[in-house]
Amino acid sequence: MSAARFLLAGLFLISSASAQIAPVAPSEAPADAPSGIYKSVVRIEVASQVPDYSTPWNAGRFGGGIGTGFIIGKNRILTNAHVISNGRRILVNIYGSPQKYAAKVEFVAHDCDLAILSVEDFTNFEKLPVFTFGDVPQLETQVRVIGYPIGGDRLSVTRGVVSRIDFSAYSHSRADSHLVVQIDAAINPGNSGGPVVQDGKVVGVAFQGLRQADNTGYIIPTPVIKRFLKDVEDGHYDSYAELGLGDFPLFNPAMRKALKLPDDNTGVLITNVTPTGSCDGVIKPGDILMSIDGKQVDSAGMVTIDGEDVDMHEIIERKFAGNKVALTILRDGASKDFEITLKPLSWSRMYAIQYEMKPRYIMFAGLVFQPLDTNLFAASKFDDVTLRRLYGDYVPKGIFQKRPDIVVLTRVESDPLTSQLGNFAGYAVDKINGVEVKDLKHANELLHPKEKPEFFAIELFGAERPLVIPSSEVESATKRVQQAYDIEQLSNLED
Amino acid sequence: MKYSAPVLFALALTACEPPKQEAATPSAVPAASAPKPVEDRSALKQSVVRINSTLQSWNPSQPWEKNPPGQRRALAPIVGKNQVLTTGELVADATYLEFESTDGTRMLPAKVIAVDFEANLALLGPADDEKGAKFFEGTVPLELAVPPRIGDTVDILQVEENGMPLLTAGSLQSVDVITNFLEGQFFLTFEVKASMQSAASSFSLPVLHHGKLAGLLASYNAKDQLSDVTSTELLARFLQAAKTTPYAGFPSLGINTARTEDPSFRKWLKLTDDQGGLYISNVRKGGAAETAGIHKGDVLLSIGEHAIDRRGYYPHPTYGSLFWSHLVRGERSTGDVVSLGLLRDGKPLKLDVTLTRSDESKKLVPSYTFNQAPNYVVKGGLIFQELTQPLLEAFGEEWRSRAPLNLIDALENPEKYEARADRIVFLSAVIATPATIGYERLRNLVVKKVNGQEIRDMKSLAEAFKKGTDGLHSIEFEDENLTVQLDEATTSAVDKQLLQRGIPRLSRVK
Repeated sequence: MSAARFLLAGLFLISSASAQIAPVAPSEAPADAPSGIYKSVVRIEVASQVPDYSTPWNAGRFGGGIGTGFIIGKNRILTNAHVISNGRRILVNIYGSPQKYAAKVEFVAHDCDLAILSVEDFTNFEKLPVFTFGDVPQLETQVRVIGYPIGGDRLSVTRGVVSRIDFSAYSHSRADSHLVVQIDAAINPGNSGGPVVQDGKVVGVAFQGLRQADNTGYIIPTPVIKRFLKDVEDGHYDSYAELGLGDFPLFNPAMRKALKLPDDNTGVLITNVTPTGSCDGVIKPGDILMSIDGKQVDSAGMVTIDGEDVDMHEIIERKFAGNKVALTILRDGASKDFEITLKPLSWSRMYAIQYEMKPRYIMFAGLVFQPLDTNLFAASKFDDVTLRRLYGDYVPKGIFQKRPDIVVLTRVESDPLTSQLGNFAGYAVDKINGVEVKDLKHANELLHPKEKPEFFAIELFGAERPLVIPSSEVESATKRVQQAYDIEQLSNLED
Repeated sequence: MKYSAPVLFALALTACEPPKQEAATPSAVPAASAPKPVEDRSALKQSVVRINSTLQSWNPSQPWEKNPPGQRRALAPIVGKNQVLTTGELVADATYLEFESTDGTRMLPAKVIAVDFEANLALLGPADDEKGAKFFEGTVPLELAVPPRIGDTVDILQVEENGMPLLTAGSLQSVDVITNFLEGQFFLTFEVKASMQSAASSFSLPVLHHGKLAGLLASYNAKDQLSDVTSTELLARFLQAAKTTPYAGFPSLGINTARTEDPSFRKWLKLTDDQGGLYISNVRKGGAAETAGIHKGDVLLSIGEHAIDRRGYYPHPTYGSLFWSHLVRGERSTGDVVSLGLLRDGKPLKLDVTLTRSDESKKLVPSYTFNQAPNYVVKGGLIFQELTQPLLEAFGEEWRSRAPLNLIDALENPEKYEARADRIVFLSAVIATPATIGYERLRNLVVKKVNGQEIRDMKSLAEAFKKGTDGLHSIEFEDENLTVQLDEATTSAVDKQLLQRGIPRLSRVK
């Protein structure tokens, strides 16, 4: 469990508005490439509203884009989460028909970039073929990518071979890594959510590309898709479960000697156990993880599944919250077996971009408070060392236990009361009137007590002095700022 | 690092103009900007020398070696028998200093008598007294001027390549308590407006008032035509302090302050409208203020008989509003007792503070380390260094946001470490060797223990490595539950190889 993991800047997502170039009429498809399935590849048109974390009371930016989806069952259309995220109106087109069908999101999984849509009226879709899923395609085998990328309005098909199978970053959430398959077919904006087909079966969903490299498209392989479909069987998406362990490879002979390990390239050292995580209270830092579910962990943290060396987390990837996992560790020279019940670690969403959320905030006498998250971090420029450390340590050090929210003074709106406070924006709040702030709601309670104190003294981490607001002036200042800056709501305490 | 930043040293004027043929005859036309008689100016040559300085700083990532050397020149006033005054910057990391007569005919190795990097002043003398006496024969030291007043005209003295003095008149625009070299070191400084021309390049220039030395020009902003000139008062105090060895330096209170303009904040502090006051936001450990019992949260109302206003200024009899720190650093000496008027919890309080000098070398993370070779240990390929601000600055111009967070934290919040360490010792990098297999990606980790011993500084690290256990050395890091090991036999072999491959020594511990 490392702190905020940001992706290669070069990864891009591939949904986009279509370009203005006249389409070329498609020629007859070769015999080995059945075109019957084209009709089940739909074009998805999304109007979206992206919230504005730097001005949290504003409506945000209205926009839209095009993506692809495909029918996988009765009134079930699979696409990417990023195609429909923050969507306000979703319309679906069947290949070769101008009619637009209103759709809605049934399930969305931002951590693996998948979503299931349904249309209001499925009647016209009933006769269309339904896609079935295959396995992870072999290296160097050929695949077809079907979708509605930029460059034209009509369906596009490209071909490529499987170049690499890897455990890699999913750029939509900026915080997750899962199995990916890299192919060399052209994947372009608009391809997102489209099926990647081999032998008539779907072997992946096209979802991202790499900006600084040619012919590198990434697809979400079927183990990830199947896991998502299984997860939502109970009617809602529970997301991935996590072990909540940090590890260090055990290559070094001296280190192995000190740990009294044989020279056989096995085991990794546990360096961090996330508080409240699946392994908290069971596994300790200093333990050596030897195997997961009976599969031996090598000194680089890899296990062998189906003859392939993969990251040991891949075992956990295929499980669900509530599932058990068997860990074998070495502690003080003795081998111990533990059965761990997996749970999701919701706190780690601190490091993921959030979608469909209304930014939370409080405006109090011209001071704007917001909880720290990656959306806010991306929208602001935070320089303060303490704030940046609180962010990085939030999960690994278990800061969330004491402070579920890191409340930040993000803005100081000019007003006679606050005109001297402009320099204090960008600091995290420690205490309000001597009480440590736990989360945004708590801050709101402390700022609106039953008995008004003479002053509100707000202590910020790393600031040279406390901020002081006389109670008697709060109401008038709040009113002035509300009018001057056109702030309809003084606070939003719920996502 | 430092020397590659040209902004700081805007005075490095180029010297590429060809010598003007007729200008060499001094009886020609006097320059319009300098109304002084030409004879007078020629005489000034006897009161200044050039200084050539060769500088070499240490390589921040490979502390056993130095960066490529650089050169600087300065024009410096002779201020006493065989004594020359220049900026501290000129001698910072100097490996060779040399006097040069203004006509370029004679050279002489020089040495530093006293240097104050905070005040940016240095006093130099000849390395060899006998040769020095000969070199300085016939020179006339400059006397210190009566401090000029705002609006007075002062003359900036340059000497052209051909040896001719050049005087540029400027006016003393304002007097301010600012820094012209190191961050956060504020001293009384004249702001002189003058339009200077390119002459022989120079990092310091004498500034004259009625023919006497009134200041030392330390930086020139060509765009605004404004110069920072070290004040006469500071020169006088520095020259006085330089007479005693060891050099005592200027005192400080050891506090950080915040303004109290905000009316709500004033009400909360119970400050009345006729009061000024600075909020004391931090009291440095071991400083004069802490010793005297000043607390964070006290309000500083007066220093001696001077009331401090809400922005930190007090009225100076001749210079107008000056920043409070001048009352400590500029007007008092180490050991002086000063009475401070404070407000604590709304009640007035008087405290006497015995002023001390904050010794930079005693800080957890020193902010400058000129002329000091960095401490380090290389063990089996692991490179350990002591954290200093110059090391952090090596992360580039944006170092405050780019340097590793844990190291910046130690710089900004030393109180987290001060109880258990005198220096932050950290693993700065790993050379890939047979002993460091699997450790290649470790860096910027603060060392907590080695072989079970707490690490207080580089010396304790070197000693801890001497007592290996079972042929293994263990290294524990701060903030990480990670202990890495080095095999003594492999490490010794690797260390021998590193020496063979040109690392001159595997440690420097002072």
